[in-house]
Amino acid sequence: MLKLMKYELRKTWFTKVILLALTAAAEIGFLIGLYGDRDEPMSVSVVILVLLATFGVLVIGLESILTLHRDMNTRQSYMLFMTPNSSYKILGAKVLECSISILLTGGFFFALGTLDISLVLSKTGELDRIWKMFKEMLAHITVNGRALQLDARTVGALVFQMLATWITTITTAYLADVISSALLNGKKFNGVISFLLFLALNWGLSWITDKITAPIPDMITMMFVYGGISLVFSAVMYVITAIIMEKRLSV
Amino acid sequence: MLESRELTKAFGGKVAVDHVSLKLEKGHVYALLGPNGSGKTTWMKMAAGLIKPTSGEVLFDGAPVSIDSRRHVAYMSTEPYFYPWMSVKDVGKYYGDFFEDYSAERYRSMLERMGLTEDLKTKNLSSGMMAKLKIAVTMARDARVYMLDEPFNGIDLLARDEIRTSILEYATEDKLLLLSSHLVEEMEAIADRAVFISEGRLVEQVDLETMRTEQGISMADRYRQIYGHTEG
Repeated sequence: MLKLMKYELRKTWFTKVILLALTAAAEIGFLIGLYGDRDEPMSVSVVILVLLATFGVLVIGLESILTLHRDMNTRQSYMLFMTPNSSYKILGAKVLECSISILLTGGFFFALGTLDISLVLSKTGELDRIWKMFKEMLAHITVNGRALQLDARTVGALVFQMLATWITTITTAYLADVISSALLNGKKFNGVISFLLFLALNWGLSWITDKITAPIPDMITMMFVYGGISLVFSAVMYVITAIIMEKRLSV
Repeated sequence: MLESRELTKAFGGKVAVDHVSLKLEKGHVYALLGPNGSGKTTWMKMAAGLIKPTSGEVLFDGAPVSIDSRRHVAYMSTEPYFYPWMSVKDVGKYYGDFFEDYSAERYRSMLERMGLTEDLKTKNLSSGMMAKLKIAVTMARDARVYMLDEPFNGIDLLARDEIRTSILEYATEDKLLLLSSHLVEEMEAIADRAVFISEGRLVEQVDLETMRTEQGISMADRYRQIYGHTEG
């Protein structure tokens, strides 16, 4: 499994290096702006960092879905499926590599964001005012219908919930793509059917998770439970996908 | 050693392999022959476990082909299949990571014979060089079954000689080699048995020496007899 994961990482390495390089460049710009008292490079860098943090995990997930698609529908599929590895291992390596990458990337940007905010606060010395302003801003943001509070645990829980939900979306896309390649291959409207299936599954899973978590009064608990249920759904999607691959997929 | 029973594969409405029952034994080099679209590649891919049959089964040592049989079966596809980011060295490492019977030393030796170097990028290889690389890495395994789909395609005469030599080196009592090719005369010098397939169906399986002595005809002659009316 580790060897398979190594090659999954290698397939997507280029994107991650680009992401890291852009982040490093933006961070340098931010620090120059902050300590050189230059507003323009600082504000541009902040915008770039926010975009990278937002789209970084999205890009990693999307690339993972595209890689699975290529690994089933092009000749490079032989590289995986002629080796003595079951579909459970092949898909498991993909799910794990992608999930770990997303969690690490999300965690990395969360830590970087925290660090950068701390640097701004310590530099400006207007700790209380900025803190208050930030809290007021967050009060306007609602998660699952509730206002967001600013403290590390709440933000941590929110990040966890978002990343877990994104991982579920990716594993659902895996399932839809495998159904398209293994069960609907060569059939009319194959792509449309699998896309509609993906939308329906995503909607259904969100609906179930919302129903389960709605009665939980504490927001942090609710977000952790939401993320936990999402990860359970990811595991279920993985098992169903691997069974279909093992029994029906021809490459 | 390798057997298919009533093996059938249909793609939509088209039947590529039609109830083929075939038994291949170790200690022989088989030529799998037939015109384009006769079902040779599909049969091989099912035997390699890459394609799931519509019906019937393929057995390796009496058990259905599975993850375990992939440890002992070295399959070489006619199409290029390496990841584009790989170098020739990466290809060897990949096989080393997944196949216990792979020998890095033999791989290097094969590369040398084929005139390839480890620093070359697979995406920059010509079709001939790619064909040589596929052969080199497949034959670097000490597998029990080798299935080579069109191993001479796009390969120059000298490299073909090297491939022929390698194949014959591997043709031992405990191994089975199955090769498909359009170069029937080329195959005649390597194979001792032949399997003729036409329109997805098994025409016949023959021992070439017996055919030569009893019927006085070569594999190429038989090929012309079977397919002459369809190809000519």
